[in-house]
Amino acid sequence: MELFSEIYSCYYQVLRHLLCSQNALTMEEIHSQVCGEGFGESLLSIIPKLESGAWDLFEKNGELYVSKIRPNFLMPLSSLEKSYLKALLSDARIGLFLNEGQLGALGQMLDSVTPLWTPGQFYYYDQFSDGDPYQDSRYRKIFRTLLDAQKNSQYVDIDYNSPAGNRVHHYYIPARLEYSVKNDKFRLLALKRTKDSFRLETLNVARIQSTALTEQALDTQVDLNALIKHSYYKEPLTLRIANRRNALERAMLHFANYEKNTRKLDNDTYECLIYYNQAMETELLIEVLSFGSMLSVIGNEKFLQSLKSRLRKQIRMVPIE
Amino acid sequence: MSDFQELIKSFPKTREYVRDFFVYGFKTRQEFTEKSPRTYDNERRRLESWLAPYVQKDYVPNGANISLAIDSSLLDTNPLFRVWKTKSFTDNDITLHFLILDLLQDGQARTAEEITDSLLSEYEALFDIQTVRRKCNAYGKEGLLTKKKAGKAVVFSLDSRLALWLRSTEQAMDALCFYQMAESFGIIGNEILEQLGGSNQTFRVKHSFFVHTLEDEILLPLLSAMNQKQNVALAIKSSKRGMKNTAYCTPLQIFASSRSGRRFLCGYLEKSRRFTCFRLDTIKNVTLMEPSTEYDILQEKLEKNRSRLWGVSFQGPERHHSDTLTLTLHVQEPEEAYIVSRLKREGRGGTVTRIAKNTYQYQRESFDCNEMMPWVRTFIGRILSLECTSKLTEQRFYQDLQTMYRMYLDEG
Repeated sequence: MELFSEIYSCYYQVLRHLLCSQNALTMEEIHSQVCGEGFGESLLSIIPKLESGAWDLFEKNGELYVSKIRPNFLMPLSSLEKSYLKALLSDARIGLFLNEGQLGALGQMLDSVTPLWTPGQFYYYDQFSDGDPYQDSRYRKIFRTLLDAQKNSQYVDIDYNSPAGNRVHHYYIPARLEYSVKNDKFRLLALKRTKDSFRLETLNVARIQSTALTEQALDTQVDLNALIKHSYYKEPLTLRIANRRNALERAMLHFANYEKNTRKLDNDTYECLIYYNQAMETELLIEVLSFGSMLSVIGNEKFLQSLKSRLRKQIRMVPIE
Repeated sequence: MSDFQELIKSFPKTREYVRDFFVYGFKTRQEFTEKSPRTYDNERRRLESWLAPYVQKDYVPNGANISLAIDSSLLDTNPLFRVWKTKSFTDNDITLHFLILDLLQDGQARTAEEITDSLLSEYEALFDIQTVRRKCNAYGKEGLLTKKKAGKAVVFSLDSRLALWLRSTEQAMDALCFYQMAESFGIIGNEILEQLGGSNQTFRVKHSFFVHTLEDEILLPLLSAMNQKQNVALAIKSSKRGMKNTAYCTPLQIFASSRSGRRFLCGYLEKSRRFTCFRLDTIKNVTLMEPSTEYDILQEKLEKNRSRLWGVSFQGPERHHSDTLTLTLHVQEPEEAYIVSRLKREGRGGTVTRIAKNTYQYQRESFDCNEMMPWVRTFIGRILSLECTSKLTEQRFYQDLQTMYRMYLDEG
């Protein structure tokens, strides 16, 4: 079972789409599809092969390319793919998606397959211990309602218990379901209509008390990433990293899930800019603190003041020597 | 650079380059000292080609820095999956792939001879029988085709039922959208999804560390060895000094960090009779060796030891068998109850005791208390005291705290 195999190659994928096209294609249409789905320079490799007939997969009809294969061509799953699916059947979260009947049907089709891994072969040593209750039927029902609403851009009436203990009741459009590996929890990135726009809110799925799908759907396109980026502070967090005790690599990996930009200042010193918003602030502060003196915070001022405030509290408990 | 090829034959070399660009993301041509400038140019060009939408160029005095601008919270897939889709192939490979699989879509079993004849009669494609048989056998091995004996003949057939079921079951497609982002071997989920015409526009993963997909080629034989309870030889290249060596061990479990995405193989070294962990990105090659005679016993031993593990280290700096760390915190009651929740939720089984009003004590035994320091430091601002039977660990904590005071509070 090969993971790095040509059967999963991007070129095969592009060709499959071209070949399954219902209509004969012009070279311009082929160009456009290769540009859209291939790599940056794929055009230079793929087009000569089609033009010369080295990949004898089209019949030429004047200027048109007619596929030799059926439009309903479906690639069967490889052993590796079946083995992967079999492993997913043992995952606690699979019940959020498939019902008993579907689990049974899939299990039967994969009866003779060995799972690629079993849950016991992995150990997340720093995962929080209060993950979401994936087996709970109410949680599953809420999850599925949110999933349906997200896919159809439908408003959902949500009754929510906020972490501060307030009961909130609003209509939201689910924008994404966000999973955190660290917390082993799902959060809902939800759009709430304001007077003339939308506001992005984050709700813990496990704190949602009830959901009711409405008939009303979103009537406009919302650019979620623009909303997220818009929420970032104008001034990023600026860290200075002296590359000792492998600090650079550790920091780069640790902060890899943030939008960041790093540059080298001199032989041994690097500067890293991290973009974040208010919702990420406490978590980011805690992460920076975990590095101790290996990182130094240069700015922004707000972040620096939060850090200093924690240290001032600390110095009152453990004074300077 | 006339010999430039966008696709590649083998993955390991590229894995190193992508990782360097991703992790460090700011090396210029001059800073890549391990390989020739020409190699650097080719690798860089490939990377730019594969990951074009994510490549960022910054011009600095000694050249252009290229880096990968990837913010996992803004993406519905892992852009580094594209690196897995770059395997080169021959003209025959791609032509036979589509023609054989198309011919066999009807589910009918055929011999290699029949397939060769049909390729000519139905597709006007002439191939010699050996080439067709070789491809059919290879696809039989990959599981794409079923190979069976029918009397004296060997026949090949294709079964699309699973692919059809997945494609028509919306919930299964949703599950694939999720798992390609959130679980090990997400690349496989992503490939199935693409094959079936799906794409994720529903799920995001908050703590997702995209770079670790590059280690999946190492993870695959390790899991295979674990499933078969076999020992392995690991070719290791240390990340700090670049030293190469070979380690022989019994692979027992994959340890993973949800905070950095790092993954480790936990194995038992027969030679030194101890457990140890190897970072997957330092393992360059895995060779399966003989079956382990005491696999289940070693797994039981590891299970017993786990309550004293904090992370991945089985021995502290002072080489004690284990040490105990006691952390006393100020927690303003009742409004800071979330700190007590944090201690319980994040403390990996340590005891949490209220010892006085507004004062809580956390205690845990660990093989290496030094590993606990990053977590302990997240409580800065409320630490009344830290005691540890490893005095070196205790000293390091206080020294580091003093350094931070000087860094940030030294107004003069």
